[in-house]
Amino acid sequence: MPPKRARTPPKTSEEDSDQPKIRADALAPTLDLAQQIYAQLANGEIPRMRLPLRTKQNITFQPREGVWKLGRALGTRSARKLDGALMLLRTFYLVDFINEMSRDQKTSTLRELYYISEGWEEGKFHSEDESNLLIEDLEVMCERLREEFRVHPEENGASVIGDLTIKERNRKGIVKKINCRDDVGDGGYSLPFNVEKEKIEFVSSNAKFVIAIECGGMFDRLAENGFDEDQNAVLVHLKGQPARSTRRFLKRMTEELKLPVVVFTDGDPWSFRIFASVAFGAIKTAHLSHYLATPSAEFLGVTASDIENYELPSDSLTDQDIRALQAELTDPRFATAEWRAEIELMLKNGKKAEQQSLAKYGLNYVTDRYLPDKLREMGVL
Amino acid sequence: MVPPTIAQQLAAKQREISVAEFFERNRQILGFDNLQRALLTTVKEAVDNGLDAAEDAGILPELTVEITRESEDRYRVSVADNGPGILRKEIPNVFARLLYGSRFHQNRQARGQQGIGISAAVLYANLTTARPARITSKVEEEEAAHVLELSIDTKKNLPLVLSDDLELWDRPHGTRVELVVKARYLRGRQSALEYLRGTAIVNPHARIVLVEPDGTRVTFERATTDPPVSPKETLPHPYGLELGELGYLLKATHRPSVVEFLTKDLQGVSSRTAREVLAAIGVRPTANPSSISGEAQARLLEGLHGASLIAPSAEGLSPIGATLIKRGLRNVLGELRPEFFAPPVSRPPKVRGGFPFMVEVGLVYGGGLPSDQAIQILRFANRVPLLFQQGACAITNAIASMDWRRYGLDQKGGSGLPVGPMLVLVHVASTKIPFTSEAKEAIAEDPELDKELTLALQSAARHLRTHLSRKSRREFASDKFAIIQKILPKLAEKTSHLVGKPVPDLTPVVTRIMDVVNVEGSLVSDAAGVRIPVEVTNYTPRARVLEMFVEVPPEEMALARFDPAPDGTEPELGRAWWTLPKLAPNGKTRLTLTFPPKTDVEANDLDWYVAGIDEAHVLGADPLPGDWDVRLPRTIVEAAEQAATEGAAGTAEGEGDEEVDYDAAEAGTHTAEDE
Repeated sequence: MPPKRARTPPKTSEEDSDQPKIRADALAPTLDLAQQIYAQLANGEIPRMRLPLRTKQNITFQPREGVWKLGRALGTRSARKLDGALMLLRTFYLVDFINEMSRDQKTSTLRELYYISEGWEEGKFHSEDESNLLIEDLEVMCERLREEFRVHPEENGASVIGDLTIKERNRKGIVKKINCRDDVGDGGYSLPFNVEKEKIEFVSSNAKFVIAIECGGMFDRLAENGFDEDQNAVLVHLKGQPARSTRRFLKRMTEELKLPVVVFTDGDPWSFRIFASVAFGAIKTAHLSHYLATPSAEFLGVTASDIENYELPSDSLTDQDIRALQAELTDPRFATAEWRAEIELMLKNGKKAEQQSLAKYGLNYVTDRYLPDKLREMGVL
Repeated sequence: MVPPTIAQQLAAKQREISVAEFFERNRQILGFDNLQRALLTTVKEAVDNGLDAAEDAGILPELTVEITRESEDRYRVSVADNGPGILRKEIPNVFARLLYGSRFHQNRQARGQQGIGISAAVLYANLTTARPARITSKVEEEEAAHVLELSIDTKKNLPLVLSDDLELWDRPHGTRVELVVKARYLRGRQSALEYLRGTAIVNPHARIVLVEPDGTRVTFERATTDPPVSPKETLPHPYGLELGELGYLLKATHRPSVVEFLTKDLQGVSSRTAREVLAAIGVRPTANPSSISGEAQARLLEGLHGASLIAPSAEGLSPIGATLIKRGLRNVLGELRPEFFAPPVSRPPKVRGGFPFMVEVGLVYGGGLPSDQAIQILRFANRVPLLFQQGACAITNAIASMDWRRYGLDQKGGSGLPVGPMLVLVHVASTKIPFTSEAKEAIAEDPELDKELTLALQSAARHLRTHLSRKSRREFASDKFAIIQKILPKLAEKTSHLVGKPVPDLTPVVTRIMDVVNVEGSLVSDAAGVRIPVEVTNYTPRARVLEMFVEVPPEEMALARFDPAPDGTEPELGRAWWTLPKLAPNGKTRLTLTFPPKTDVEANDLDWYVAGIDEAHVLGADPLPGDWDVRLPRTIVEAAEQAATEGAAGTAEGEGDEEVDYDAAEAGTHTAEDE
């Protein structure tokens, strides 16, 4: 039987729960899956697997960890239907490929994996979405991280600027000590895809808090205005929907350096989702929430009331925006009085605004007035 | 001097209305009320004439229609036919005299009837461009063709011959009409091209060539060399007689007695009925027909209308027939590659008001027909396409008042024109079509006609529904076949390789996934004949005993050879059946029908039925209909009973349906959610 619930990685103590290592038995669970399907075929049963559903309806709040994780609802992937049969076939092409990489000591990016499937005949992926989903399915079924399957995302280089000193083991195996304010250029320190302890260690930091920023333009504005030095902040550029490594890095800063995290985004329905994936855990990766989510992160803005209070230049909500907000009203992660009020206010006003619309009051307004006001309000300053 | 009386004054004002005036007042009726329509009417009148001329002489029609532009709004229309030609002395009257023709008094289905058609076009040309009509005609007996230039004396309604020559024409016989008319040439639904397309569909025995003003040449090739059965001229039936017509016939007859007149000049009146009617109104059977008074005529007609008469004969009708509708549609729509041609419906003749009529329907679905627009309707009255006034026509109304959603089409609220990749052809044939107006562009509502239209449309629509449901079953099946033929073997190979064991026998899994008996026919046509092998495969987890039945068009049945020999046949109904050998899971057997080379038969023309299994477990064959009245072997009856009880209990494999389909559930989260 496949696992009822994903727990990745299995934890022994609170301390090392967040330190997945490449384990010697990483490939064994993939072979177990093959064994399971083989047995069904040999018994004359229609091949099938049962997996936890990664849907909005099947995430539950874990009070102890403060994050949203996968619930107990299971779905069946069966060869009775064409889609299911194809995904089963792909699963074993993938397992085969993973074992091959393991033998040859290679790794592959998610995108390479998508192209590798060109040789899988019927099993070829139709889109990168499909290959990404299947890798996540495999993580859930085998209770392993994709890195253990030797598959990783492309470097996406989320940037960090601020008084934070780290040690990074670079590609040549040399450990470099880097201060993310003094030792980097204007682009900041670029996060590698692997931000685990064997790759990055925190040395020290004089910062008081971390501010995670949605857009590059705003990240650059804060850097140029010297916000990191003036306010003792670490600036992290989320680059839209943040990658796993960015979310993992935020979580480690909070847990290991005890820095509070505030999230500064546009004021629109999609930005709410960016915050949710940082703070609560994303639905699709709910099996990894305990490892990626930062439950203590707080939403700074732009809020629906900011748009009114600061009289920000705004756009009307599109039909798609309205549908997204309505979907959020049924999303359990947003089922708090505060979020409900925020979403309903945005629906009522029918307006959205970009972070950079604060430039209406001049280039320094965001760093001189808006952020200090908001941070004081939140008790961070 | 005595002042003129009022009567004299009025008489002085009365004069003959010139044909020009008549034309002006009736432009709409005659079809010349706008420039686009004028061009179309000119083409239509000349084409109708050409087709009629060839058909009447038993010649397969071959028409060339050439339209050239002379100036901004002047077009030369030239229509040449291969008819028998017209004698020199008749040419002026045929083309340049209104109300002159040989068909006016005939009681049979015909394209044109009033004798206005082509001469109206000639008159229109005279009036709008002052150009004479140029007629070229050659009869077989003469060496050369007569070429006449004609116009109409609009005061006297008499032909004016402006020139009269002889010319060599390199064809044995035929007629060409050339007219220069004020007109506009447009493409689209109401164009000469569409008119000729429609004409070609319902006249598959004709070859029609169109040369458009820009030089585009469109040829509608002949789809059959069988000429249509020429409708017989029939006698008038009393139900359709008006009093005036009866009076005219009584005067004109050569019969010595009224009883002979009634039984021989009219149809449907038996000698006994005639005598009874005459006795009732007090007229001697031997009375001279011309001696019957006006008042007696009225009583006679009333008596005839009240008597039980033999229904009007349908011999005067010329239906297109199912075969030719199918050929015509295929011929003209072939390039659109429609996925389905419904078997055309030809309703039996019915009678309304003394006139026989019948309705025919053809239906085409899919392929290149647009799927996001209202369906296309091709309306025909007596083989003539109707292009205008679609919304006012009984044919359109009959289509719009049907609920097509029941047959698998989209239709807002279940009425109005449905939307979908469909074309419906409707032909109404009658010795008298109830047009909404003299313009003859739309058929009027009539309860009898509406009923026949609806029945014919429903019958065609049922074929469509069967086709669509078979199609969705096929798509379902093609998914299943992809799973068992392509995916499952690879899945087995991969997993076996990973666990280092031999590939297991997949038969039990295959039959569980499919869980159907599949009946699939194909077609091989070569010099040896047309072979239709049908493979029956048992993709269910247990052995099956089945009885297969086939229905072949009865006319093809006599030609068919069967392998193996059927266990029973009913040749006059085109039926044959077999008890199949017991089929183990994954087992298959084959039945082959062979027809002589070039037989016009397709795999789709055969209907397959099966007994001994429930409907849900069969693909490609339907359950045996109750009306076949075939005695089934005991094993089949038992198998059918067992299948019925299993079907009622639900299939053992049904549990899978209650589970959430992981891949379907996940599809819902493919939003721009998180990474």
